[in-house]
Amino acid sequence: MQTQRILSIKSPLGPPVEILKHTFPAQSNKPRVSFVAGLHGDELEGLYICHKLIRYLKELEVSNPEAIQGQINIYPAVNPQALENATRLWPFFSLDVNRTFGSGQIDSLAVETSQILLEDLKSSSEIVIDFHSSNLQLMELPQIRIIKDFEKKLLPLAKKCNVDLIWIHPNAEIFASTLAFNLNNAKTPALVIETGICHRIHPNAGDQIFNGMLNLLHETGTLNIKLDPVKEPKLVQSDQVKMVQAYHSGLFIKQVEVGKFLEEGERLGKLIDPIEGSVLKEIVSPCSGLLFTLREHPLVHKGSPLARIVEILRKK
Amino acid sequence: MKEKILTLPTPYGGNLELYKNVWGKPGECLSIVSGLQGDHLNGLFLNSQLTQFLDRICEGLDPHYTLTGQVQTFPVVNINAVQSGTRLWPLDGMDMDLAFPGNSQGETAEAIASMILQHTKDSFWGLILTSAPPHYEDAPHIQVYKSDNSVKKMCRDLKIETVRKQKEYSTQKVNLFHHWQEQEISSVMISAGAPRTINLQQCENLFQGILNFMKAEGILKDHRNKNSENKGKTQIYKHDEEILVKTSTAGIFLQEVEVGSYLKQGQKIGEVRDIYSGKRLEELTSPEDGLLITLRQYPIVYEKEPVAIILIAKKSWREYFPWNR
Repeated sequence: MQTQRILSIKSPLGPPVEILKHTFPAQSNKPRVSFVAGLHGDELEGLYICHKLIRYLKELEVSNPEAIQGQINIYPAVNPQALENATRLWPFFSLDVNRTFGSGQIDSLAVETSQILLEDLKSSSEIVIDFHSSNLQLMELPQIRIIKDFEKKLLPLAKKCNVDLIWIHPNAEIFASTLAFNLNNAKTPALVIETGICHRIHPNAGDQIFNGMLNLLHETGTLNIKLDPVKEPKLVQSDQVKMVQAYHSGLFIKQVEVGKFLEEGERLGKLIDPIEGSVLKEIVSPCSGLLFTLREHPLVHKGSPLARIVEILRKK
Repeated sequence: MKEKILTLPTPYGGNLELYKNVWGKPGECLSIVSGLQGDHLNGLFLNSQLTQFLDRICEGLDPHYTLTGQVQTFPVVNINAVQSGTRLWPLDGMDMDLAFPGNSQGETAEAIASMILQHTKDSFWGLILTSAPPHYEDAPHIQVYKSDNSVKKMCRDLKIETVRKQKEYSTQKVNLFHHWQEQEISSVMISAGAPRTINLQQCENLFQGILNFMKAEGILKDHRNKNSENKGKTQIYKHDEEILVKTSTAGIFLQEVEVGSYLKQGQKIGEVRDIYSGKRLEELTSPEDGLLITLRQYPIVYEKEPVAIILIAKKSWREYFPWNR
């Protein structure tokens, strides 16, 4: 493994702010695959997956170096200051780095960082995987979200990743400033894997995706190893996704867990008024299907998302 | 005049209320929005001054003026951030100006964005009042994406000399300003001062500028027959006429110039000193003659951070002819 600093910035107090890139050199010219984690500093699931990949590949380098047929790059912590502060945003400027890609003028360190990362990934990858967790509010089942415009190129790759579902959704203007959009726009296929929730690590989900990443590396020819088959993901179009939102502000008390198959009308939880002591509403599933997003943070305002369910019609 | 346009219940029993002020009869309307960021206080204060002024006119307490058009102001958009004393609302960490066009059925920020756009989309003119990004101070200036004749006239009427014509990037497509441009509202963004502060002199100058604009556009009539002033010179700086002066070291930045001043090439902007030793690490100077439009206020700096933005007026090829000098 070779380690390179793709960015090093002097800090006022001494130790520099650095972004590290670990490279596992290839034995032949198979596709180069890069893994990115920590773009949001409070999302740790990706760091766990990168840790497992680094550990596995280090051992492979010793035991069977010929197996590494394509270069593998791992960027385990690309927003170091936010990670150290466990904050989603770049702490000094409250800036979401994943909303700075594609900006023209480099008028802040965050933009400078995003430009350097983007260029480095473009120059050293045929495929990029960008690991994310959900925000402070929601828990997500391991999934890949694909913008419809990129479906043709990304779907075959996404199917190899051992996720529970692949959600194909329309484009929205806000995506234009993200890392994955800019990579895909530049013809470097980039998958966004979303799993779990920020500030936490769920080893089971992490292990599942780790196996998926090995499978992806195997299927693309980057790794020549023997593996067990991975699970077939559920393909989901946007019109199959039913979102449950809070009709009123209050506290949401969940009564199910993400990953459950729900019947129509089955209870998801309840919305309570903590001041008056009343139950505002029992929240039930609007359809039968797979619960893949669930509210973890109880504090909700009107309109807050509580759950997402993939509608699955059961044959009678 | 004060009108509640959105009420959202909060989890603990209270309500979050979004207001606008509106004066005059329905017609071609001027919308003025401030408080998109919770720490941009110059705009909030300026809007409050305008409210006081327009209230007095509409109550018949100011004999010099009559309101002949319609004006609406939205003093606070990101209500939760203003209440928290922060730029963003800590609960969602979302930049309010990345939430447009919003969604009336969505979360708080989306619902507010949707309501603001709904109330302003039919405006004839629009002004968005902002301040510099965190840790910086802006000299008052206008920001636009295009500089056609109507925008140039707006700038002159607002009596603001400096206009930055910026490139529009994909990231800006979720800004309120972008959506106003799509609605073909004659609109500009006015940036002045630093976050978390109110600069009374800047606010007074901008207040007079907006007054002049309202007179020039026929929104406001001055019975003293004082015509609007529109002879002021407006200098439009393109994107490639901006120079960023960046640090090459890290430490404490001590400024030696004031934002808004004209700098000579080689003039010292400030210096960076080492926190531990106090030694001077570097001196930052202006690479060209130009207007210092943005200056770093917060002294702790990292390497490669911009401490100043200088606007330089490139000469047109016509200016090189002796008869045009």
